Amino acid sequence: MSYEKNIEDRKVDRVDISLLKFFWQINPLLKTAKNKIPKFLRNLEVFKNFSDYELWDLSKALHRRTFEKGDIIFRENDLGVGFYFIVRGNVDIVIENDHSQSGESSTELQSKVVVSLEKNDYFGELALLQERHLRNATAVAKEPCELLGIFKPDLDIIINERPVIASKLLQSISLIISNRLYSVTQEVRRLKDRVKVLEEENADKN
Amino acid sequence: MLIKTNNPKDTVKLILFILLTVVTVAILIFLPRITVPLIISYIIFLVLTPFMQKLIKLGISRTLSALIILVGLLFFSIYPIVKIVPIISNEANNIQYYTPKIESFIKKEYYKIKSKVQEKTGFELEDSYITDGFSYVKNGMSSFLVAVPNLLSRALEWVFVIPLFVFFLLKDFGTFRKKFIGLAPNSVFEKFYIISHQFNKQLGDYIFAKFIEASILGIIITAGLFFLDVRFALIFGIIAFVTNVIPYLGPILGTVPALIFGVVEYGYGTTFGALAMLYMIANAIDMAIVFPILVSKIVDLHPVIVVGSVILGSQFMGIVGMIISIPLAAACKLIFTDVLGDLYSSNS
Repeated sequence: MSYEKNIEDRKVDRVDISLLKFFWQINPLLKTAKNKIPKFLRNLEVFKNFSDYELWDLSKALHRRTFEKGDIIFRENDLGVGFYFIVRGNVDIVIENDHSQSGESSTELQSKVVVSLEKNDYFGELALLQERHLRNATAVAKEPCELLGIFKPDLDIIINERPVIASKLLQSISLIISNRLYSVTQEVRRLKDRVKVLEEENADKN
Repeated sequence: MLIKTNNPKDTVKLILFILLTVVTVAILIFLPRITVPLIISYIIFLVLTPFMQKLIKLGISRTLSALIILVGLLFFSIYPIVKIVPIISNEANNIQYYTPKIESFIKKEYYKIKSKVQEKTGFELEDSYITDGFSYVKNGMSSFLVAVPNLLSRALEWVFVIPLFVFFLLKDFGTFRKKFIGLAPNSVFEKFYIISHQFNKQLGDYIFAKFIEASILGIIITAGLFFLDVRFALIFGIIAFVTNVIPYLGPILGTVPALIFGVVEYGYGTTFGALAMLYMIANAIDMAIVFPILVSKIVDLHPVIVVGSVILGSQFMGIVGMIISIPLAAACKLIFTDVLGDLYSSNS
């Protein structure tokens, strides 16, 4: 009995350094890059199932990248390994046209903006899941922007070292993808119905 | 909308990044006293990484995990070193008494072959082959003995430096890699990161698999020789372990000394037969079971490239070069395939 009590006492006495470190980092008066990232991640819908401690742990695996206006973040058909979150600035997702603009130098290409993303948005999540993923579109910095990226090698390390965080991250990405798949399915259904109506109209005319 | 395809700032960053990498490599080449223990520490770090990941998975902090592994490694290696080193030095001392016996046996066999060749073909083999061979081996041995004090002083330095390097690699390699990769310009960041990761992974997986494979072979040989009651079982086991690192030629290099010793000591009898069988079985297990399961999946290279890279590796960096040459060649293949793939896809 006394032995068990001893062990219990020891458990109570033990100081968990990493937990202390975490409490120090989340201190609201501390304004360092280390606690800026978890605070930013807390605002993202994707990470709502993460605890503060898990976000702090995940933030250590993220890479901060800065881009100037017009910089290409990644190009269509490039091999992609990164999933990005926008901390500051706007990003355009564009589809490049094959032909160069006449009269312009060959280093500039014409393109069409598919979607414009802003602060707290994310893009490129498929790259984390697919083997040799080729980017579907080009991402361009619309203005000077700051991004946080997580890459395939980071995910491999997290899977081996922090399986709980890895499974939560994969769950979040699956959620994003399933939501997109759902909207794509809805769109396909709508288009199919439209095609059917058009076919019927065409048949009636003939 | 118009997209800029090349940012001049990014090009400058790329040039600076390449320059930094080249300068770092050049510094490392010109400072072998730091580079060699650093490479050895890196190899040990790669072997220990899976254990480190297991500890971190248990919720232990990185620093504590590195410390536990280092203390554990020192604790578990001190006992065998204290126990085995005297046996090895004793066996090594005893083996020198067999050298004249082996020399006279080889000479006798050579003269027999020489007379047979002369009888059958009329061609006389020169004695210089055998005398040159022996003088080469003797010169090698004497130059090794001359270098022993120097090697010992270096080994003493390594005893302190390598554990320190291993500890900091285990603790801070991830942070260091993140900082270094962070310097890469945006245009090549993703590509550089994935290639460096694959390079590291391939090197680590290969060295870990090769270490396990060589250990299995070494243990089979040592245990078999002990069971057959053959002298110098431990030394032959260690030779088999070390030579296993060299692909294709390694098994032969590990077998020949033991077979020569077997003939000299026991003659062409049952012990020699059992010895030959043991090496055949051990190498067959290695080639048919252990190698395909552990190693061949990691590196997919043509045998000529494997042998060529081992020769180049041994020429530049000795045993360390032999160990790292194959995964380096595999990683180079990976990079070239990627770069060439990129070039061809952009051309088309």
